Amino acid sequence: MADEFPFEISPMFEGERVRKDDMYVELAGPKSKGFELVNAVGLDEIEDGKFTLIGPELSEMEEGGRYPLAMIYRIAGELVEPDLEAIVERRNHDFQNYFQGVMHLNQRYDVWLRINKDAIAKGLNSFEQIAKASMMLFKNELTFIEKIEATYITDLAKVEEELAKAMERYSARDDRTRNLHDEDVEEFYGCSLCQSFAPTSVCVISPDRIALCGAINWFDGRAAAKVDPEGPQFAIEKGECLDELSGEYSGVNEVAQKLSGGEYNRIKIHSFFEYPHTSCGCFEVVGFFLPEVDGIGWVDRDFTGNAPNGLAFSTMAGQTGGGKQVMGFLGVGINYFRSPKFIQSDGGWDRVVWMPKHLKDKVLEDIPKDIVDKVATEEDVQDIDSLKKFLTDKGHPIVERWTTEEEEPTEDESVTETGAVSMPQVGMPAFDPAMLQNLPPMTGGGGGVKVILKNAKVTIDKIILSNKE
Amino acid sequence: MKVIAITGKGGTGKTAVTAMFIRSLVKKDQTILAIDADPDTNLPEALGDEVEETVGDQREFLLEERDNLPPDTDKERLLESKIYSVLAEQHGYDLLVMGRPEGAGCYCFANNMLRGIMDRVVKNYDLTIIDTAAGLEHLSRGIIRDVDELVVVTDGSRRGLMTAERIRDLVKELNLKIKKMHVILNKVTPQNRERLNEYAQELGLEVAGMVPFDDDIAQFDLDGRPLIELPDTSPAAVEMENIIMKLGI
Repeated sequence: MADEFPFEISPMFEGERVRKDDMYVELAGPKSKGFELVNAVGLDEIEDGKFTLIGPELSEMEEGGRYPLAMIYRIAGELVEPDLEAIVERRNHDFQNYFQGVMHLNQRYDVWLRINKDAIAKGLNSFEQIAKASMMLFKNELTFIEKIEATYITDLAKVEEELAKAMERYSARDDRTRNLHDEDVEEFYGCSLCQSFAPTSVCVISPDRIALCGAINWFDGRAAAKVDPEGPQFAIEKGECLDELSGEYSGVNEVAQKLSGGEYNRIKIHSFFEYPHTSCGCFEVVGFFLPEVDGIGWVDRDFTGNAPNGLAFSTMAGQTGGGKQVMGFLGVGINYFRSPKFIQSDGGWDRVVWMPKHLKDKVLEDIPKDIVDKVATEEDVQDIDSLKKFLTDKGHPIVERWTTEEEEPTEDESVTETGAVSMPQVGMPAFDPAMLQNLPPMTGGGGGVKVILKNAKVTIDKIILSNKE
Repeated sequence: MKVIAITGKGGTGKTAVTAMFIRSLVKKDQTILAIDADPDTNLPEALGDEVEETVGDQREFLLEERDNLPPDTDKERLLESKIYSVLAEQHGYDLLVMGRPEGAGCYCFANNMLRGIMDRVVKNYDLTIIDTAAGLEHLSRGIIRDVDELVVVTDGSRRGLMTAERIRDLVKELNLKIKKMHVILNKVTPQNRERLNEYAQELGLEVAGMVPFDDDIAQFDLDGRPLIELPDTSPAAVEMENIIMKLGI
């Protein structure tokens, strides 16, 4: 690619591992210190192509030795902004792995490099060669970079000093990343890994909604889709926002239709009751509607007892899974509890009445202060009656819903809310989830007739549910 | 770049055979990746290596820590680096221990990353030797793909050979793309030699060799000495050389 460097540069060297036997020197890594950092600066602040080394040179290092290494790049350009730092920084890994005889692993303060003996034998003897080749690739591949300069540090004290500063930059960057929301991006990501056992499963991953297995966040989706766009994770054009509160997007609906084989054509990603996200079977937590208190409980895989509705996780998971939109149940990943849009279409945390103690503890800091003590656990309540008493005693906001609904029954409520919500009146008989399955107009569950009401106003005084004889 | 998986019923000596394979091949200047894919991890002991952490531990770390990592962490890069950090690097070979099996949660995403990483790791070696239990767990999940040769080790028991037969059927059922399968008869004595060979033929299993019962191995075992130090003159080591020739490794 470029004759000025004593090593070949090509993507074919990606994945090349430098074994201990073949290693000339190890840099940074789990047994030493180091980091890589890209900073965006002003155009007049740097000199393009400049390289500075602080500490011993590669040629001064002992064969078989281990040394610290920091790689700091400063970039500038009309289009360069701090938000691009992370994306640019990531590429250092790709580029340095293109160099024959150089192994680069991991990211940020976990970088780990090795240089093999062959590369040294062929003339690699200074960090300047590595830095210049890296800078060349940065500018070639990321054309918005107009100027770039690099500082490499191999002096331990200086690495530690600069690492402390770098940690602040990383942390500021993480704060920005955590503040990324659905409305800030153009693309969501989908995942089809679960379609092998849940063929109609439509998995939508957005900045405010982690995959229900808890394993794939929006950034993971982006990284995977970039590496292999045809792979199990892929981009979903968000399209038009049809309803912000419930998280309904035209692009998601189109993909839902396609992925589910026509089974579902609407998915609202922050809704519990109406067109909820499908539940595959991998979900970490299952949410369940408790009609007697008009609230939602959550139970996770690690909870072995029974929830207040008398059912265990495994029973409800069986009911919920299979890649369907199931009314009254919803599978989620634990991190979704930390989302500012957590079931916001249905009242968010104000709708949550019960969760196991260990699960509550796990997300404790993310539960709004005014509700945290009002969410019951198995230590507070065992059944519906004690739950009702707990909620009343604690003044849970859900209690207000009971009274308002009794006073003015459902007049202004929309169709689906009527179907889903108005049937629970205090004092209903024990809840049987199988009953919910047969209720219109939700599209999940037991087949039969699908009733769609449009622009309808329905008033219901009473609904009686009974088991089929 | 060749991948061999060694399996068999528990107690037949598949780990001993794996260690003896590595012992011979290291001397032939091949770079070898040894993978202990048996949850009952014995290969490090047979090789005289100490391994503190496993691939399973790293996968578990990722699952436990995933919500605490910086949100845009590239998890595949992280896992890859973690796996390299548990790779025990010896002269002539590296040892990777798969370790604990999966827990209750969903491993789809983690395993999908692991597949890609293992594909890349394996490419760096002339030869990869996998010591795996008869259930072929990591093969069936596709964590380790593209196995060229499956070697089933069996001792002088009928049941050992029946396991070999079942493994052959399992390979078909699982649709594993394994190119060849051989049987190594282990702990063979002059008394059972003839009969065992006949029985293997009856079952249609191709015999790669018959490793004799070896007093040296029994003594090494008692003394807790790694088999990799077995002398070249040991009858078992001699037969292993023949087997390696026959398999063309």
